[in-house]
Amino acid sequence: MAGKVLIIGGGPAGLEAARCVAQLGGEAILVEKRERLGGTPDRESYAKLTHHWRDSGEAIGELVAAVTGNPRVQVKTQAEVKAVSGQAGQFQVRIECGGVSEDVQVASIIVATGFQHFDPGRATQFYNYYTFPDVITLTDLEKMLKEHKVVRPSNGLPPKRIAFIQCVGSRDRQLGNEYCSKVCCGIASKQAVELRQQLPDSKVMIFYIDMRMYGYWENEIYWVAQEQYKVNYVKGVISEVLKKGDQLLIRGEDTTLGRPMEVTMDLVVLSVGMEPSAGTRQIAQLLGVKQNKYGFIEAGGPGGLDPVATSVPGIFVAGAAAGPADLNDAFSMAGLAAARAVAVLYQTQVA
Amino acid sequence: MAPIEKAVAIEKENVIVDGMDISGPWSRIFEQRTIFDYTPELIEKVASIPGAESFANCYQCAKCVAVCPVDVVGNYGPRKLYRYAQTGMDLSEAPQLWLCTTCANCLRVCPKEVNMVRIMPAVREQAILDGKFVPAELQQAFENTAKYGNPLGQPQRKRDAWTQNAGVPVPILKDLGRPVDVLWYVGSYPSYHPRGIDAACAAARIFNALGIDFAILGKEEKDDADSQRLAGEKGLFEMMAEYNIATFNKYEWKEMVVTGPHELNAFKNVYPRYGFSRPVVHYTTFLVRYLDRLKPLLKHPIHKKVTYHDPCYLGRHNGEYEAPRQLLQAIPGLELVEMPRNRENGFCCGGGGGGMWMDSFTAQHTTMRLSEKRAMEAAATGADILAVACPFEVSRFEDAVKSTGNEHMRVLDILELLDRSMRGDVEI
Repeated sequence: MAGKVLIIGGGPAGLEAARCVAQLGGEAILVEKRERLGGTPDRESYAKLTHHWRDSGEAIGELVAAVTGNPRVQVKTQAEVKAVSGQAGQFQVRIECGGVSEDVQVASIIVATGFQHFDPGRATQFYNYYTFPDVITLTDLEKMLKEHKVVRPSNGLPPKRIAFIQCVGSRDRQLGNEYCSKVCCGIASKQAVELRQQLPDSKVMIFYIDMRMYGYWENEIYWVAQEQYKVNYVKGVISEVLKKGDQLLIRGEDTTLGRPMEVTMDLVVLSVGMEPSAGTRQIAQLLGVKQNKYGFIEAGGPGGLDPVATSVPGIFVAGAAAGPADLNDAFSMAGLAAARAVAVLYQTQVA
Repeated sequence: MAPIEKAVAIEKENVIVDGMDISGPWSRIFEQRTIFDYTPELIEKVASIPGAESFANCYQCAKCVAVCPVDVVGNYGPRKLYRYAQTGMDLSEAPQLWLCTTCANCLRVCPKEVNMVRIMPAVREQAILDGKFVPAELQQAFENTAKYGNPLGQPQRKRDAWTQNAGVPVPILKDLGRPVDVLWYVGSYPSYHPRGIDAACAAARIFNALGIDFAILGKEEKDDADSQRLAGEKGLFEMMAEYNIATFNKYEWKEMVVTGPHELNAFKNVYPRYGFSRPVVHYTTFLVRYLDRLKPLLKHPIHKKVTYHDPCYLGRHNGEYEAPRQLLQAIPGLELVEMPRNRENGFCCGGGGGGMWMDSFTAQHTTMRLSEKRAMEAAATGADILAVACPFEVSRFEDAVKSTGNEHMRVLDILELLDRSMRGDVEI
């Protein structure tokens, strides 16, 4: 075995990939742009994870600890990959770290540069996110849940009636985001439960097109929200959010009854989807790996069945850089990407 | 094609039970309630018509229904039409085919780009070709357009008769014998309808006051026929377009100004498919360029509360929301108030897509006219005046303010308001 594995991105997928490379006996260089590891869950102050309702800070902390104390992983924070050349087995990489450039040689690369949340200002504005302070996003609410201080931004008082609107920025041909963002149904339901725990007097409603609670999310999140925490699910997504007095009026159609709805709310939460992060777009260009029409890194390989193969041999992708992913997806991909990347190290020795 | 057969209840005109007359309006509780089958065929039947393909894209999210004006006064919306088709409704034979006004508010919010503005004309055209039901009053408007060159059925030779009332010169291109800066396409309603003529005369006076070098086509002008196209008469539309394009091209002019948003849509967005691509603007967009010259002319304040109704074909279809508002705000003393549904979310008056000529038919399938619903919204703002910028609207809303008991609210075209502020001697 010869050479090292470069991992770009210190979020859940990158951290897990680094740990796996080390477990398989390889050596990894982990490059992270921010000063801290932990990725989006850390940066956006996630409260609880859909994974067994674990505290996000604690769970991500464990991932970080597994890497920072590991002699086989060299962690570079506030560092960016500036140039890459060469091919599988011998990539020359220029890393800039604290104003200092360094050239390293690696045998394989794992891209784990992640996603960013959809910005409702990019949409046609009909939910008035930038007009009404009480229209917020999943990420805005997540921060408040973490601090155990959920209030209406307009008046600082706890909301009594809260609505989630699903599929904001996803499944939309007009926006160009045709894909399902996969996690928002679960996150909204998880947050609805947390809201009911923190504000037991509140009424929480989720307006949806389809609830996509695949696998165990059905019974672990969806049913828990509905049965234990009395979250109201209404089939029929909201068309517009208007102002009515000091409340918000949401308008839509209850599709199971075929009747119009006009319901007042104190707080409206937009279930924003996933888009490729700026880092993912940048690094894809730099590495010359193919992106799909949405800007995510195209994965699948020649046969379409390798979820971590990019268009360039020796470069692999893990997590939401390749498309909407939850933590399970990110960890599974990270493990497979680590195995493939370490396999290149073995092949390099043979050659 | 296998439409789903449904049980049909026996409907009698008069029912007398034990000597007691229990006749009354038909109740929906007697209608078939159980769904016996689902069929993809009737969705495919629609989607197989060129232009109507996107009908099949609906994934039932229902965003469209909440913004569909017809659902406010009835039971409608693209999502519902899709589901009805799935459960046995043949759109080409259903009354629902004629209720859409092509206002495009559904398309604005549709994540799947189900485009009723293309679907409805395509399916209507097919229905007309197949000899299916067509509302009689719409048929009449088609015939008038073919025969007289305008949907009102007025004689062609009287098309420029209105100019006698303008009080200012209204040059006609044929007589002028020289190129002009502006060809003003007046339109059918401003040429013939009494309240449309008021707006046309106001426009003539404004153009004169601003020193615009303009002329009209006079007796050579014929209807743009865009609403007839949207109502399904593509053949008629093409015939009219061919005539109009040839007429437009006979003369030298730099820019065309139109009184109506439907004409704007026709000449700017549709006629280019038939080889016509010269600059066309709506009068609001045109006049706003002259705001500096116009403002000193607006000498007489209008101390009134005014709300503005966005025409679908000026706003959503052509993106002009600000020019009309800027013109209104240029009038001294005028207070502009907004209705809750404005700009991109403006509420349709019911006149588009052929709705202008189907009011009696539509009344059978809705609880009130869209113009009535909108007039009530306008009145709720406390406005003294409902300002409009589409020649269809003055007559529609004048009827609506009467039928809804809001006669205190005047309906005036922006042209009329500008003219009155200029002249000052006319009562509002």
